[in-house]
Amino acid sequence: MKRTNVKCRGLSVSLSIALLVLSAAGAGAQADIPGIPGPVFGLTASAGHIDTPDGDSLLVWGYGVTGGPIGFQYPGPNLIVNQGDEVVITLTNSLPVPTSIVFPGHGKVTASAPEAAANGGVVQYRFTASHPGTYMYHSGTRPDLQVEMGLLGAIIVRPSGFDPALNRKAYGHAGSAYDHEYLFLLTEMDPRVHNLVDFGGLDLVDNTKHHTVLWFINGRNALDTMLMDFTPSKPHQPYSSMARMHPGEKVLMRIIGAGRELHPFHHHGNHAALIARDGRVLESSPGAGEPGFPDLATLDFTQQVLPGSTMDAIFGWTGKDLGWDIYGTGPGYEHTCNGLTVPSTGYDPATKEYCPDHGKALPVALPELQDLTFGGHWSGSPFLGFFGPLPPGQGGLNPNAGFFMMWHSHTERELVNNDIFPGGMMTMLIIEPPGVPIP
Amino acid sequence: MKYRRNFLIIPLAIAFLAVAWIPGAQGIVIPQCPGDTNGDAIPDGPVPANQKCLHLGAGDGFVTMADGRPIYIFSFSNLTGVPPVMAMMEGELAANFPAPTIVLKEGDELYLSLTNVGMMIRPDLFDPHTVHYHGFPQASAAFDGVPDASISINMGSTLTYYYKNMEPGTYMFHCHVEATEHMQMGMLGNLYVKPAQDENPAMLALGSSRPAPVNKPFLGFAYNDEDGTTGFDREYPIQIGSFDPNFHDASWNVQPLPFANMRDLYPMLNGRGYPDTVVPGDLPAPAENGGKVSQKVSSLITAGAGERILLRISNLNVTNFYTLTALGLPMQVVGHGARQMRGPAQGANENIYHNTTTVTLGGGESVDVLVDTTGVPAGTYFLYATNLNFLSNDAEDFGGMMTEIVIN
Repeated sequence: MKRTNVKCRGLSVSLSIALLVLSAAGAGAQADIPGIPGPVFGLTASAGHIDTPDGDSLLVWGYGVTGGPIGFQYPGPNLIVNQGDEVVITLTNSLPVPTSIVFPGHGKVTASAPEAAANGGVVQYRFTASHPGTYMYHSGTRPDLQVEMGLLGAIIVRPSGFDPALNRKAYGHAGSAYDHEYLFLLTEMDPRVHNLVDFGGLDLVDNTKHHTVLWFINGRNALDTMLMDFTPSKPHQPYSSMARMHPGEKVLMRIIGAGRELHPFHHHGNHAALIARDGRVLESSPGAGEPGFPDLATLDFTQQVLPGSTMDAIFGWTGKDLGWDIYGTGPGYEHTCNGLTVPSTGYDPATKEYCPDHGKALPVALPELQDLTFGGHWSGSPFLGFFGPLPPGQGGLNPNAGFFMMWHSHTERELVNNDIFPGGMMTMLIIEPPGVPIP
Repeated sequence: MKYRRNFLIIPLAIAFLAVAWIPGAQGIVIPQCPGDTNGDAIPDGPVPANQKCLHLGAGDGFVTMADGRPIYIFSFSNLTGVPPVMAMMEGELAANFPAPTIVLKEGDELYLSLTNVGMMIRPDLFDPHTVHYHGFPQASAAFDGVPDASISINMGSTLTYYYKNMEPGTYMFHCHVEATEHMQMGMLGNLYVKPAQDENPAMLALGSSRPAPVNKPFLGFAYNDEDGTTGFDREYPIQIGSFDPNFHDASWNVQPLPFANMRDLYPMLNGRGYPDTVVPGDLPAPAENGGKVSQKVSSLITAGAGERILLRISNLNVTNFYTLTALGLPMQVVGHGARQMRGPAQGANENIYHNTTTVTLGGGESVDVLVDTTGVPAGTYFLYATNLNFLSNDAEDFGGMMTEIVIN
């Protein structure tokens, strides 16, 4: 209801936004990566089919929580543990082939057996999660085939002292603090491999002929990437990759190159600070650079995601220096910045508006409606939190009048689903107006 | 011969489009440029020095590969200075590859007008277009050019983007509509922002302290480094690109586009394969576009002994990662993604540059590489892809992603 005020009436926008921010802060609403808590996990590797947006149905081998409601899933469950945990993972193998798991980035992993035998074998792994960060786990048995088939997942190790409400950090370093965290686990598939396995041709798989035509983020192809977590239409692909934030907030991007290809992951909207690679902070000495980013962090607009590698980056957005008022000017858009109607220094504490640009009109006029083609995520207005005129049937996929920023592989041929554009390795970040609840 | 098959369509297409446009059902060409009174995107009176106007046309055209093969493209042309009533005609088949280079200074306010001039060779297409200023910090959805999240301009109309440029560095721009197709087709260009430090005489004079034969002020800097470490005497934008001729021919021949089987066979720097890369200035106009010069960006790099060369390298191809080396020359990476290599908390002289012999870029990445020729013998050196299979122009085995660095 309050949101309606923001969108439809410019009067008292600042006041209502301030109230909403307070209420949102009070609720402590911040996005976390969905996953299962540890440190003791039971996983079952089993086979099943997933639907892809090109109309295909592919056999996948996936991990799932043993006895859980989802069964196999792609990717496997996000395993969330705390630094120092003694992690115990019991793998039950329901596949017709032997399998196993490796845990890159963790030392001294012990296993009760080299592999879990086909059709019911069990193996147990133990290791100490000594370092916080972003990791992956995947099959160690014929991994060229089994990782392609889907036996992979993410591990997140929370740093010592982590508190989901009061101390949200990716690492011990103060510069790894964030408001919202999202996972971007990048993979690929060649459907021919899956079809061969499905129809009994396991030994006919030829990796030298691998030809990727499907690209995934968190196990989904665009545009399914933007559906919510655990959406019923994707029963075995539970994880969304749609990110949301408010101006002035920090988003932790946990990126994993979980497939066989390199991907340039381009995040529209702003630069991000790459603060860690492969579970290690980019700092010259512990804490160097605090309270800012780690001293060896670098800002970039495209993250070079390498196979088997993980990256942690902090993204932020305020619209600083755009040169115009992101909340609009003139009748219907009245608001203050730092309590003033004129420009001032710094940011408004509630709306995070960059006050030097306050009251500056949009420098150009947008063309007439008949001259334009409209995106579904376009609100009709250049101003954050406002709707504008749209022809009938246009827009409609932006309920809060946020700014949508595409986050995607910049190898643009990966934005297709087996010859069909658009799709593939693409999702969106929504910069939501202040006060919109997240998640 | 085999490449001439569609030539006759052009006059027909022009006639078709001319008829289609006369009723004026759509909008009109109106570039917005403060101080401009006649619509040619050039101010007619005094304006602030930091105000820049540019008028780009978006449409189709042709380029010639280094083996002589004509390639049908979509891209941009520079319509700045063209009266609005002439813009549609001037933009016909005028697409450049790469797109016209955009050079800005820190603090510049850019009014970038984009007119969709339509597809002469493909009158069946009604594609809108956009400009995506790739890497622009703190972007708004309205001017980001992503069609899903904003607006795109229809044929015969003009959309003016506004960008206030506050962060120097090497960026790039491209159309984001149907990105896989429009980018493979060539809607890509160099874009960089020069730092305010270029206006600082004391900083420029730091270059004078270098020993002979250089001992002269720097021409400019890559960043506001405050220590002169990004100072250079020469700068060159180098944009990595590559084309799949089968995709372009499918578009030319109105056939289904091979997305899944996309395979680039023409690796290029600034829209040319070697040896065209070292041709200074323009390449000859292709016959297929009616004789319009469409490849205007040379990659020939020249410098005097002891000079420092800044290579502003970006990659906008849509299929591959590429690695470049400058064999025999020292490469120092001073920037990445339009940011100086310096920890966010650090100051002057605390740089985290690295010396290397290769840089690897995926699509949408940029690096700033300083090549210091101090002590380097005069001669011709090569900047080329170490993915050696890409040193080819389709079936021609010697060519592709390579150019020359000539030290005099």
